[in-house]
Amino acid sequence: MMRALIVDDEIYARQEMEAMLNETGEFLVAGKCANALEAIRAINKERPDVLFLDVQMPVINGFEMLGLIDERLMPAVVFVTAYDEYALKAFEENALDYLLKPVEKERLLKTVEKLKKRFAEDDKPVFTGPEIKKIPCIHSAKIKLINTADVEYVRSGEGGVYVICANGEFYTELTLQILENKTNLLRCHKQFLINIDLVDEILLRENMVAEIKTKSGRVVPVSRRYLRMLRERLHF
Amino acid sequence: MEILFRMTQAMSVFVVIAYIYCKSPLFKSLTAEAITARDRLYLYGVFSCLSILGTYLGTPVHDAIANTRAIGPVLAGIIGGPILGTAVGLTGGLHRYSLGGFTAFSCGLATTLAGMIGGAIHWHLSRQNRSEQMFDPKIAFLAAFGAEILEMTVILLISRPYDHAITLVKVIAVPMIASNAAGATLFMSIIRDQKNMADRIAAVSSAKAFKIAERTLNILAKGITGESAVALAKIIHHETGVGSVAITDKEKVLAFVGQGMDHHQPGIQLASPFSLMAIQENRVMFAAGGHDRYTCPLSDTCPLTSVLVVPLHIDNDVIGTIQLFEPKNRRFLNMNKTLGEGIARLLSNQLLQARYEMQKNLLVQSELKLLQAQVNPHFLFNSLNTIIAVLRIDAVRCKDLLIHLSNFFRKNLKRANDLSTLAEELDQVNSYLQIEKARFDDRLMVDIDIDPSLLKMILPTFTLQPLVENAFKHGISHTMGQGIARIKAFRTDGRAFIEIEDNAGVFHEKEMDEGHGIKIVDKRLKGHFGSDSGVSIFCVPNEVTRVTVTLPLETKTS
Repeated sequence: MMRALIVDDEIYARQEMEAMLNETGEFLVAGKCANALEAIRAINKERPDVLFLDVQMPVINGFEMLGLIDERLMPAVVFVTAYDEYALKAFEENALDYLLKPVEKERLLKTVEKLKKRFAEDDKPVFTGPEIKKIPCIHSAKIKLINTADVEYVRSGEGGVYVICANGEFYTELTLQILENKTNLLRCHKQFLINIDLVDEILLRENMVAEIKTKSGRVVPVSRRYLRMLRERLHF
Repeated sequence: MEILFRMTQAMSVFVVIAYIYCKSPLFKSLTAEAITARDRLYLYGVFSCLSILGTYLGTPVHDAIANTRAIGPVLAGIIGGPILGTAVGLTGGLHRYSLGGFTAFSCGLATTLAGMIGGAIHWHLSRQNRSEQMFDPKIAFLAAFGAEILEMTVILLISRPYDHAITLVKVIAVPMIASNAAGATLFMSIIRDQKNMADRIAAVSSAKAFKIAERTLNILAKGITGESAVALAKIIHHETGVGSVAITDKEKVLAFVGQGMDHHQPGIQLASPFSLMAIQENRVMFAAGGHDRYTCPLSDTCPLTSVLVVPLHIDNDVIGTIQLFEPKNRRFLNMNKTLGEGIARLLSNQLLQARYEMQKNLLVQSELKLLQAQVNPHFLFNSLNTIIAVLRIDAVRCKDLLIHLSNFFRKNLKRANDLSTLAEELDQVNSYLQIEKARFDDRLMVDIDIDPSLLKMILPTFTLQPLVENAFKHGISHTMGQGIARIKAFRTDGRAFIEIEDNAGVFHEKEMDEGHGIKIVDKRLKGHFGSDSGVSIFCVPNEVTRVTVTLPLETKTS
């Protein structure tokens, strides 16, 4: 059984997709998400094998969403859309398949064959998505898109990952890993990423550790392991 | 008494002559706008003959002649001025002098003086800017009356023996004064009537000319612009021959051609009370000069004293004026007044036509847009997908949704130039909303509040639908949380308002660009209702977008 995640902003579209996947007997529906943020959270948590992904969604569309997924967790992607103007782009994105709504059962069975073949060959999907320019964060029940250039640092803790800017800190569903890979933020600590452009000063301490003071006066720790990399990068 | 009777006969001959004169080609010299030297020569000939004829038609009385000789010189003076009057008077007088008699010299002198009196009146009226009164029979009456009293006085003063003179005057004074005054009056009134008729004929023929021009001229295809205004002003100036012509919009002069061009320049704000009144009240304003005169607000030395201001309008909206001016020394002809109004009507029609052209273009645009709307694939396939999903759980609701979907598409097939009532518009919107509510069942709230008295209001088909669709396509579908749509119709201050509000607060400048949905709706409304209707947008980012349709109430409810 393949573990599937359904992402669509329309409730009946999700229900219909779930019903159809269940009818094939090949899938276990691990979750249904109404938007990209719910989906990223679910992917991080459920680690599905395959994503049935709608293209047109609010704020972050299906293509944009792929760029926000941690590459190590990247499932196979099947786009599901009402209109085929995106077909070409879908294949450029290395999508495994592309389904049109309303979905025909026979067509879905072909998708199942493709999926089985891919998993049999252990052919890992590859998405080299574009650089992340805006980080989707949740702020008082709304989605806030924060420019990476405005981010001073990113912190990961028990409560999750937080993006810190001069004007406050915001929760995000993205992992430190993907932010490190897809933005110009640098790792300075196991739990911290730093934006070099917004660094005010670096204070060296004993034991080869350091502290960074950001332009707005916040202090970020630098661990021994990453201080060396930082030195190489900044030539000091 | 017999003398009076005879003189009435003579006078009747004059009236017949006046009538024949008016019908003859010689009369043209009187209808021309400016009297040329040649015209003066004609006038001299005609009125001198009249004067001499007056002598011959006279009745011999006591070695003198009771006559209607003075009519010629008096009228020549009034119409042609002092020189012509004196010349005719001198001619008639010399002729009389040549016939002899004890009053030969005094009568000859008096006839010359009669011409001078007429001339003096002409001069006086010109100076006072009352030249249109020159053809007033009352003036002719007074002039002839005065001339005859003067003649009697001259006879008494100069003719000797004095007792003969006094006897003569006793006999001829009353009949001569009466017949000359009456003759001059009748003669002048015939001339005036003929002249007015000629003016009217000219006006009618110009109106015809412009009706033809109306069909062919196409300067105004793009509305009144600086360039087309100058071209028009030149044409009108040339065709009418008035002193100057101005074309204005509601605030300023667009073009000015003719006398006073030095200070009446394009771009200058309108200031004369005639312009302001014409625009404000949408009516023709006229100042004939004299008491009711135009005073140039720009320059003290401006020669222009009479003006005709005709508003230009599209439907009932004044959009500018056309103004004809005459300088102080020229009469504002009736013909030009009629012509000016005719031209304004013509231009208004052309502007209306230009607007229709524009609407036709818009129609094409909106039909294209409509074509896209008819096959909006996302909406159609997503709706079908939703309906299929609903079929699994609720067959009755599924049927309802299919009926709404077919209603929606049926309404979409209506032609874009049709009109609908607000109720019909809302019916389509409702079908659309029912489907959108099903699609976003879990996160959409719709609130509709319509003043029932507005339901019969007529508006262009597809006014509401594109706006509501916009609120979803560009608004609610971009929010992750609860979507709220509100549709409200109400009346305030004699106008109707329809508000379409969403809580997404997404507004892109491009939505008001040419060709975009909201802009097309706005243009169609303005095309149909005029400039006090239209669509406006209010947006607080991330909170609310409110699109408001404003409509006039009074005329268009059925």
